Amino acid sequence: MSDIRHALLRRDPLSAAKEVLYHLDISLGSALQSSSGPTPGLEKSTVDLVEEFIFHVPKDRNIQPKRMSCVQELQLLEIMCSYFQEQSKDSIRQIIFSALFSLQGNKADESRMAMLGKLVSMAIAVCRVPILECASTWLQRTHSAWCVRLAQVLMDDYCTLVPCAFSTLQNICSASPRFCCQLITAVTALYDFSSDELTPPPALLEMLVGWITEDPRLLLLTFINTPLNSSLPLGCLEITPLLGLLRWCVKAPLAYQRGRKLALTNGHGESEKGTAHEELYSKLHLSVLQVFLMLQVHMTEQNLIGRLAVLPVESVATLVEEVSRLCEKLTPLSAANHIQLALDRLAQALQVAMATGALLCAREDLRTLCSRLPHNNLLQLVMSGPVVQPPPHSGAFQPNMYPHIHSGRPSPLSPHSPHQSTLPPHPVLSAHPTHRPITAHTTHPSLSPHAFHPAAMAFPYRPIR
Amino acid sequence: MSAIFEGDAMSAIQKSHCHTSLNNYSPQELALEIKAFISGVDQTQGRKLSVRDHARCAVRLLRTVPACRGAVLEHLRGVYDEYVASFLQDLEAEGENGGTGTSGGGSTSISNLEDVIKEVHAVLSEFIKLSPKAWAPLVSTWAVDLLGQLSSKHAGRRAAPHSSSLNELLQLWMSCAATRSLMECYSQCLAAMLAWCPDACVDALLDTSVQHSPHFDWVVAHIGSAFPGTIISRVLACGLKDFYAHGYSSAEKVNQQQAIEKSCRVPKIGSVVGILGHLASRHSDSIKKELLRMFQDSLSPPPQNVPLHSSGAGGWENSPHLRRATVPFLLQLAALSPTLLGAVSAELVEFLRPPVLVQLQAQFQALPREEVENMLGLAVHLISQSPSGGARVLKFLADTATPSSVIISGPTPSPHDSIREACDRLLQMLLLHLHKLVHNRPEGDEPFPQSSAASAMPQVIPFLEELQGHIGDLCAETLRLERKRHLWLHQLLCLLSVYGGPSVATEALCQLFTQARNPEELALASQLYTPLSISLSGLLPSTVARCVAQIHTQTLDNKELAQLLNNLATAVQSQEEDRKNGGATTGSSAQSSMSAQVRVAVSSHLQDFCPLLLHGDNMVSKAAVRLLSCSQLPRACSPAHLLLICRAAVSHFFVCLRLQGESLKFGEEEVGYSMRLLSRLAAYSPLTQKAVLQQLVEGALHKGNRDLFGGLQENPGDDTTQSPNLVPDLGISLLDVNCKFGTSVNFSGNVWSVFHAGVIGKGLKPPYTPSQPDPDRINQNMQTLLAVMVQCCSSGGGSPSGNARNGSAVGTSNGCFPSSDPIISDELPPINAEAAKVIAVTLVENICPDVANGELSWPPEEHAKTTVERDIHIRRCFENNPVLFHLLRVVAAGRPALCYCSVILRALLSTLLAHWEASREPAVSDSPWPLQTSCLLVSCMGEGQLLPPVLSNIHEVFPLLSPFEVRLLLLGVWEYMRGNSPMPQKFTFCADQGLFFRDFSRDGDVARYIAPIHSVLHKNIDRLGHLCWRFQV
Repeated sequence: MSDIRHALLRRDPLSAAKEVLYHLDISLGSALQSSSGPTPGLEKSTVDLVEEFIFHVPKDRNIQPKRMSCVQELQLLEIMCSYFQEQSKDSIRQIIFSALFSLQGNKADESRMAMLGKLVSMAIAVCRVPILECASTWLQRTHSAWCVRLAQVLMDDYCTLVPCAFSTLQNICSASPRFCCQLITAVTALYDFSSDELTPPPALLEMLVGWITEDPRLLLLTFINTPLNSSLPLGCLEITPLLGLLRWCVKAPLAYQRGRKLALTNGHGESEKGTAHEELYSKLHLSVLQVFLMLQVHMTEQNLIGRLAVLPVESVATLVEEVSRLCEKLTPLSAANHIQLALDRLAQALQVAMATGALLCAREDLRTLCSRLPHNNLLQLVMSGPVVQPPPHSGAFQPNMYPHIHSGRPSPLSPHSPHQSTLPPHPVLSAHPTHRPITAHTTHPSLSPHAFHPAAMAFPYRPIR
Repeated sequence: MSAIFEGDAMSAIQKSHCHTSLNNYSPQELALEIKAFISGVDQTQGRKLSVRDHARCAVRLLRTVPACRGAVLEHLRGVYDEYVASFLQDLEAEGENGGTGTSGGGSTSISNLEDVIKEVHAVLSEFIKLSPKAWAPLVSTWAVDLLGQLSSKHAGRRAAPHSSSLNELLQLWMSCAATRSLMECYSQCLAAMLAWCPDACVDALLDTSVQHSPHFDWVVAHIGSAFPGTIISRVLACGLKDFYAHGYSSAEKVNQQQAIEKSCRVPKIGSVVGILGHLASRHSDSIKKELLRMFQDSLSPPPQNVPLHSSGAGGWENSPHLRRATVPFLLQLAALSPTLLGAVSAELVEFLRPPVLVQLQAQFQALPREEVENMLGLAVHLISQSPSGGARVLKFLADTATPSSVIISGPTPSPHDSIREACDRLLQMLLLHLHKLVHNRPEGDEPFPQSSAASAMPQVIPFLEELQGHIGDLCAETLRLERKRHLWLHQLLCLLSVYGGPSVATEALCQLFTQARNPEELALASQLYTPLSISLSGLLPSTVARCVAQIHTQTLDNKELAQLLNNLATAVQSQEEDRKNGGATTGSSAQSSMSAQVRVAVSSHLQDFCPLLLHGDNMVSKAAVRLLSCSQLPRACSPAHLLLICRAAVSHFFVCLRLQGESLKFGEEEVGYSMRLLSRLAAYSPLTQKAVLQQLVEGALHKGNRDLFGGLQENPGDDTTQSPNLVPDLGISLLDVNCKFGTSVNFSGNVWSVFHAGVIGKGLKPPYTPSQPDPDRINQNMQTLLAVMVQCCSSGGGSPSGNARNGSAVGTSNGCFPSSDPIISDELPPINAEAAKVIAVTLVENICPDVANGELSWPPEEHAKTTVERDIHIRRCFENNPVLFHLLRVVAAGRPALCYCSVILRALLSTLLAHWEASREPAVSDSPWPLQTSCLLVSCMGEGQLLPPVLSNIHEVFPLLSPFEVRLLLLGVWEYMRGNSPMPQKFTFCADQGLFFRDFSRDGDVARYIAPIHSVLHKNIDRLGHLCWRFQV
């Protein structure tokens, strides 16, 4: 192996990198063919070669590795693009991709990340689906901090630096929905409204809403495709973007209100901008709720209800915590409407999530969880819940307490009817024996889940101003 | 969709723009484009791309594929470089071919590239406009780096001017489209970034500036002058951060040379200095302001600053570490750039008020000892290098370092003790440093071999240069003799003198001489002189010359003038005293060496000092006479000067006498000096002796001085004119009176008698009452005058001056001044004959109105009638001037000088004869004056050996005789004189006594002249018997 290294050392950086790639391809390909086992382990020496000649980590103190120029780097990227495109075997592609870019926790990680960012960005531009697929796997398996960084790079490239190229990103959705799903998760983790920089850019928001309204199932792709028994590494991204999107929807009114307050003190208002965003967020919120319903169908099919928490309680608790903190910061008078809107959304989502089995949470817990939030009628209602004695035979979770009023019925007005139709009918729901309306909903018709009703698509919310 | 974007005009524009430009590209096309960019070959047609098309392709990628931007920008570097290369080539070709010929090919390529560059520029500036936060940092680093690369790469070209000529460089590069476009891009970025992260862009600028040092200067200069305010503060803030990051403690090892080398290792501070240096020419004010503000901000407590400058200077004020690093940073900065130092030094001191000092002290208390040492060293170095404000700095240091009890100056509270100590140390280090600098400096006239080899150039020390203008103040401060302060200042003066050479040293000494008020203060002058005398020669003569010049220009007021003269006198005298005390005291040896030189120097300027003797101010004249009296006349002195001095000295003598009369206490001392001066003058040479004596006599007889010696006014009528106030002017004119008399003039009375009685019309003249001053005083004056004359005479013009000095030494060795005992000691020194002759001749000249019958030999008594008028005149002179007798006696003592007075003697004798002849009083005592005069006359003649001893004794009997008998005896005297003419030839010099004697035996028999005496004795034997023995031959 050191022979190769010495040979490579004499070459110029680009051809050395090419050589390493070739070497990697050959050795891994042959290894994969010879051993029929799950995944052949990478040899240490190969990893070293990759790090030294592709990511330019100095291995030898005396030899400062020759760095590639930007143009050479671009050439390398182009070569990689072509390689992954032309590599027909999925497994080899995956292995090579992870050999190159899975993080090792060493010095090479920084340049690894930089290269990955450029590669993915370029793949988006020239629409290399295999790379995007590999990237989505990478996003699934990597710690969320790194995922956020990748998302940051992509957003910098396409939203801030070259907004002209944004449409290419937009078009990716059709080419690689899996990547888009992971990207959404990463992006929601990135933009958490904690500051102005971390507020989602309007173009991004619009794009996401476009994607989701076009196909809500997009959000569940990863969840559906992931085998249940696969153990995900610690600290990786959420399996669905649902929580992140929910966070956006709930926090957006508060955050924009906060931003407006700052803007007002600075002397120039941006109130018109806000209304456009709010419409988008409403749309997004609706989609999220709808996806919960879809999720329920899927989980029922897989008989997962009550066994898998799609929305972890801890994450919800964090969200509630953040919301209460944001509410405290705002002056209640001027922002009352926004606070109420946020809480309404939260309550709706909680209820739907609980009803659909995405959130596994007893009502007692919910009460303690939401105790610090300002008063909200709907939330109050959700917390108090229907006055039903739990049947003694039921377990910790009784989905039958929550009537799924509209979910089972395919709606003619739904824009997603094609997808909806692809879903199998919901025998579990329709055949539910204890399906009956409960008193809470009838007593509060105005706050009832009419908002979810596709017939109520005209957004019967109170005016936002 | 459009409804969504209603509110967001910006993104709508983006959108529309993007749609137009991007619609054409599918991912496949983009992939091809990338391939084309990488390979430089058109993928569809398979031909090579031209530079221009390649660049276009790159621009397209820049717009569409974000991942390519690094590569694109890198590629564009090459394009820009190519453009610059061909641009310069064109210039060079133009220079060779006079603008025609082959330049065509080049220019097409230029124009080809030019529109590409324009395109790039447009794209970049659009990007920056759209999203400044994303693009500005990127483009600014790229542009600056590329600018640096281009300007240093092409610096060696023929067309490029030398890097030192900044303006030409700027012109060249700004005329080149590529660099101009880069510059504009950078400016745009900077303008965008200043709002939110100014440090980053300035950081890049500084880094590049360091990398491409001289060639990149034009960029910095251009940018700096475009954004002066911000760039200055940014640059400073960046420098500070970097300085702090590099650890200032290690970065400053006091030594100056090292500090300059350090500038390479601490890169940013070097370029900060360079940039500020550039900007200093046009924006020195704002730089100064910024530096001072930085200093102030670093000291003032942070919470006040936050609202004020949070937007301004990158927020360094908020970090306590940076704040603490500020002062060292500023010091370091100043050390590296004289321009900045000059800008700040003058005004920094103004800020160092006590509260600020307290804060500074608090700040530095935390620092380790070594660092503080370094900073002190640096500060010292800076002070010594600061070109202006040195005086203020010095004053501040001295003020602060002076112990508080001494500070009387007003309302500011006395600084903290430790601050004072710090200042004390600083001052001492400063002095030490200056000492080293000054003494290691090779000097033109006195080269030290080892140091001149070390550094050939004379080192300029700006601090001292500046202080040279403040020597007067420094001297004044030094002379206040405040505890430590004067030691520092004295040391500084010394350094300054060594540094500035003779002119400064002269000035300093001159100031000290002028301003010192007492011997302790004067001692500073000698302390200053002693070290200087080693290196500077001829210092004192030039100092004295300078003092004299000061006197001539009359820049000094009377007090200073008197001080100066007194100080000089003290300096001169100190040598004498040393000698008197044995001269063994080691401490004063330095002083004596100075005083000897001062003496020499002063003596060559005596003629310049002598006008001051007659200065209107007593203090001045007294000081002048003191100086003159103790200084020595030079060996070779021109007669004109001598006469000048003599005249002034004599005039001053009389002025002194008058002053003494007015206030005894004051004049006494001065008279002493005056006498000493006169006797010295007289002892110097025959010429001066003659002059002095002559003028003394004339002065004594002068109308104005007559009253000093009990003289009467010759014409009492003058009184009316002298004191017109006494008589009311009635306004009557003589003409009127004459008219009134008309033709019928009444000649009954003599018209003169009318006039003598008073002015016509004014009634009788008021009776003249001679203001008779105190007889004691007259006596004293007389004594003084005679003492002076005797001293002058006895010192003997011909005799060596040692004689005179003995005389004066006798006078002073008594411990008191000669005038304090005006009684001439019993042992009268022999009076010089020549001197006496001078007096005699002068007397004759002054008293005798005409020279007819002025021969020495005596005519028969009857002939006296022809000279009655003259005789009366002479007699009246004697009546009015009692001093004349005394002078006559002096003359008589200097035999044979009295011979020359024979006219006077004759006149007196004849009038006396006439008086006694006419006298009808029974006793001679009824007419006291003639009696006294007769006695004096005879005794005088006897003293002068005009009369033989027997004959000269007759005056002893006069008071006992009758007037007739007196006349008889006097007649006998006349007869003797007629028979034995008073001729000097009859005298012979007796060497052992040093006197002339007359041998009366060679004259005729004296007996026949004695017969009348004997008969008178016979007649009055009852009363005169006891005197008979006096007249035995």
